[in-house]
Amino acid sequence: MIFFALLLFFVLIAQVAEFFLPVLPWFYNAHIYIVPVIVFYGAVVLPLPLMLALSMYAGILLDALTVQVIDSKVEISLGWSILLYVVLAGIMHGLRPLYIRGRREVHVIMTGICTSLIILAQYLMISFRRGSILFNKQIWWQIGGPGLVALILAPVLFLFLHWLARLTGFPHLQARSRFE
Amino acid sequence: MSRTSIIALLIFGAILGYFLSFGPEKTRKFQASVYQLLAPFLSSGSGIKKQITSVRSGLKSLDELERENATLRVDNRQLRATNQALRDVEREVNRLRHALNYRERSFFKLVPAVVVTRDSSTWWRTITINRGKEDGIEGDMPVVTDEGLVGKTTTVSANISIVILVSDENCRVACSVEGTREQGIVSGERVATAVTPRLNLNFLSKQADLHPGQKVYTTGVGGVFPSGLLVGAVKSFHVRELDAQAELTPAVDLSHLEDVFVVTGQK
Repeated sequence: MIFFALLLFFVLIAQVAEFFLPVLPWFYNAHIYIVPVIVFYGAVVLPLPLMLALSMYAGILLDALTVQVIDSKVEISLGWSILLYVVLAGIMHGLRPLYIRGRREVHVIMTGICTSLIILAQYLMISFRRGSILFNKQIWWQIGGPGLVALILAPVLFLFLHWLARLTGFPHLQARSRFE
Repeated sequence: MSRTSIIALLIFGAILGYFLSFGPEKTRKFQASVYQLLAPFLSSGSGIKKQITSVRSGLKSLDELERENATLRVDNRQLRATNQALRDVEREVNRLRHALNYRERSFFKLVPAVVVTRDSSTWWRTITINRGKEDGIEGDMPVVTDEGLVGKTTTVSANISIVILVSDENCRVACSVEGTREQGIVSGERVATAVTPRLNLNFLSKQADLHPGQKVYTTGVGGVFPSGLLVGAVKSFHVRELDAQAELTPAVDLSHLEDVFVVTGQK
């Protein structure tokens, strides 16, 4: 539970930090997203109930801090990010046996893909709301760029969180025997 | 699936359903509460970021000094560093004096505010400012600088507010072009392709003959933005099938905002 509490804390800190991280002008103004990497790591190592709780927490934070309420219109209703997170975290959770067998590259790649999928889903939702859809090179980079950044960040963050899980004696590390 | 997991899924579903049932007003209140809760973190983060930027720019000046004055003695370098620090203070004083002058000569009641954070998401252009309900700020109040229009407030909590920038596609402003009878709606782009955002003035007549450099002001139509606020200058003009569109350069450098004013009424 200490590790789970730490994950919640890191999600909060990462969400606040994202406000202050500059965009990458040499990368089509791609944003740096750290929260999905933490959530997807949590999805791999946590049991289902805690994975659901982490996804809900991250989804609420994301919605509350980014959703636009203009006049009497909400572009993406509160709750949609929870749904997005839980679906993608569910996929990661389903691939948990691979992680336990040591195939960690799968989850690193999936983290990059899922980060981009969150942004793509947001784009599709706002496009639907605004009544026009447009895809050009810039938009694809805005969607794919953060995924590539997450792909680079994931191994480092995964290693750090794995070390932290070991340090706090998180029981998932003993789960190997159940899968082998 | 274990019983615990089934119970967790049911609880999750119920909470998700609860959040999905939120209407705009409830969402705004919830968003305001979360921002209020995180306000100390956001303010501290803003302070840390300013310090890091200041140290980084200081180091850059020192590098330049070292390159240019390799033969100067240590005490000489110290004096130059002191001068640099004083110049920073002077720049700050000038900036604040400039802002204060604008506030005094303005026709509007202005509440000064400092930008705490910039947009953290890909699809929305917003900033947060360190003023809220306790300072008399409400939703849909125009936000300006001495250079022109910045945007309008959306969600307002006790002492922090979200401002949607004029460069966001959702912030629509009725505007007219200087020296013509042309009126249109200014809105931003869905995706910012450059650090300096681009604005579009839509629904112009096909006969409008606009030239680069012509200034664009708010008309006051719609009730949110008062008339006469500078929005930007025409960069290019092109005729479309049904109407014409002008591309504008924003009057305010929206990527480097530090201090803004919220228009709370007229003097």
